[in-house]
Amino acid sequence: MKLNHIFSTIALTLILTSCSTDDDSTGDQLEGQQGDITIKFDNAVGSNDFLFNNTYSLSNGDTFQVQTLKYIISNIVLLDENGNESTIPAIDNIFIVDESQANNAGEFNITLNDIDAGNYTQIKFGIGVDQDRYTLGAAGQGNFLQQADDAGMMWSWATGYKFIRLDGTYTDSNAADQALNIHMGSVGTSLDNYREITLDLPNTSRVRENSIAEIHVIADIMKIFEGSTTVSFADGYNQVHTNEVETPIIAQNFSESFSVHHVHNN
Amino acid sequence: MYRLFTITCIYLLILSCQSEEDLGYEPTPVDFSIPSNFPSMEYDLNNNPLTEQGIALGKKLFFDGRLSSNNAIACAFCHEQEFAFTHHGHTLSHGVNGNIGFRNTPPLQNLAFQKEFGWDGAASHLDLQPIIPITNPIEMDETLENVIEKLKADSDYPHLFKQSFEDGEINTANMLQALSQFMLTMVSSNSIYDQVKRGEGPVFNPLESQGEQVFNQKCASCHAGALFTDQSYRNNGLSINSRLDDKGRFLVLERQEDLYKFKVPSLRNVEVTAPYMHDGRFSTLKAVLDFYDTGMVDTGTIDSSLVRPDNSLGIDLTEQEKESLIAFLKTLTDPTFLNDDQFSEY
Repeated sequence: MKLNHIFSTIALTLILTSCSTDDDSTGDQLEGQQGDITIKFDNAVGSNDFLFNNTYSLSNGDTFQVQTLKYIISNIVLLDENGNESTIPAIDNIFIVDESQANNAGEFNITLNDIDAGNYTQIKFGIGVDQDRYTLGAAGQGNFLQQADDAGMMWSWATGYKFIRLDGTYTDSNAADQALNIHMGSVGTSLDNYREITLDLPNTSRVRENSIAEIHVIADIMKIFEGSTTVSFADGYNQVHTNEVETPIIAQNFSESFSVHHVHNN
Repeated sequence: MYRLFTITCIYLLILSCQSEEDLGYEPTPVDFSIPSNFPSMEYDLNNNPLTEQGIALGKKLFFDGRLSSNNAIACAFCHEQEFAFTHHGHTLSHGVNGNIGFRNTPPLQNLAFQKEFGWDGAASHLDLQPIIPITNPIEMDETLENVIEKLKADSDYPHLFKQSFEDGEINTANMLQALSQFMLTMVSSNSIYDQVKRGEGPVFNPLESQGEQVFNQKCASCHAGALFTDQSYRNNGLSINSRLDDKGRFLVLERQEDLYKFKVPSLRNVEVTAPYMHDGRFSTLKAVLDFYDTGMVDTGTIDSSLVRPDNSLGIDLTEQEKESLIAFLKTLTDPTFLNDDQFSEY
């Protein structure tokens, strides 16, 4: 009798557990539910974690060190298995990923609140500031203008954002410890260097009301110089600011830096 | 009876005080009318509708030195109304702590119709243009964060922002929108030229008429239309000022073909905007016309419209034509705009 009771309890528990698992995968129960998700941006060089002041080598033998590394990420969207997009208010959906503000593991966390619960299979985001936002004028920028100014992500001589700011030094066969400054952005409405990328998640990210979903994004900084186009410091890529030939190449290369390493569902 | 009157008076006083302080967001819309001889607007007012309160706030900000690091250099420091908002008498504009800028202050007028701003067009939205002078170390040398902190600490700004914007916040976006609202109202469209063109009575005298003909024949391809600029960037053959070596539009996109090109300036109110050119090198209109006649040098990217059939550079102008041109250009002076109380500090 007693055994029977225990058995019943176990059976009931199993049924309940399996039920709740089933519920999670059907969309119906998720309606109206919202949860938070954290996107971890983790800079790397190749397969190693990125470190300030470390010496990194390009394939041509040039070396470089970095002291400042920041970039703008905007318009983050999650896509579910049916291609539905999460909705996040555009005005708040813009961030400066700053390596100097990262945690000891080198991760910079962006937490998005009140995301519709769902089973997300892709993440899409922009690098920089898109023309739609820019041409709204002050109305489209909210407090981001001030935030970008504080972070040194604006040009004082031209009204535009620096999409990436990589400051450091480089050494090549000509000279040692020369200034390296990659400040790529759009130039007003004349030159659009905003790039949007969509990355597949290795497993489904489940956003729920009472859980913390995490997506761990890696940015391989080496790709900035050795992406689909390999550039060298001697050819002018030691100083990149608004040049209409150089900046789209850096924008394209940088957009290839990103990959999703893994997803946590807690 | 007297006592009742006193009480009533005091009560009314309190009431009027209160109503001023308590006044929330009840904006009074302002219509923007495009002068009949003007092109359509570039600025999208849907994103920033004009209101009396917003314009008044923008005006206060325009004249406020606290937008600069030493609290002394307001926008109006370099943009003086009676000279069509230029820095009268200065070849190059001045900034905080006696810093000397890099370029001649351009006039502020008809900004609602401009696509890009500044001599090199570095700013492509009016709202975002003020960030350049505010944050530039040789101009106002301030951060947006500091400006906002100073405005928040002020006794007037909190309620002025409340009256001007729905969210009532003192922040960068609202500050820039208010500045835009004020600057958008700076429309110069009441010169003798405008009155002639709109058939409102005045007519050109014979010298001005001749000047208009010369102008249309020799100048209007660049200084085109009612704005007197086609808003393009061109190299007009100025010798390179070696102290500045200002590469002009090249600085924006680093395109070789943009070297030494500058925006074609409007000629409205040109009589009062001396000195002329991006570095203020010419102090009179006569000097400018003499330059176009005989002073150009080839710096590589010279505008093809300035090359004569024999490959020499310049625009042929007789002394008499120059005299007539100057007479015509003076019909572009708009005393209404230059003296309008709505733009003056006091």
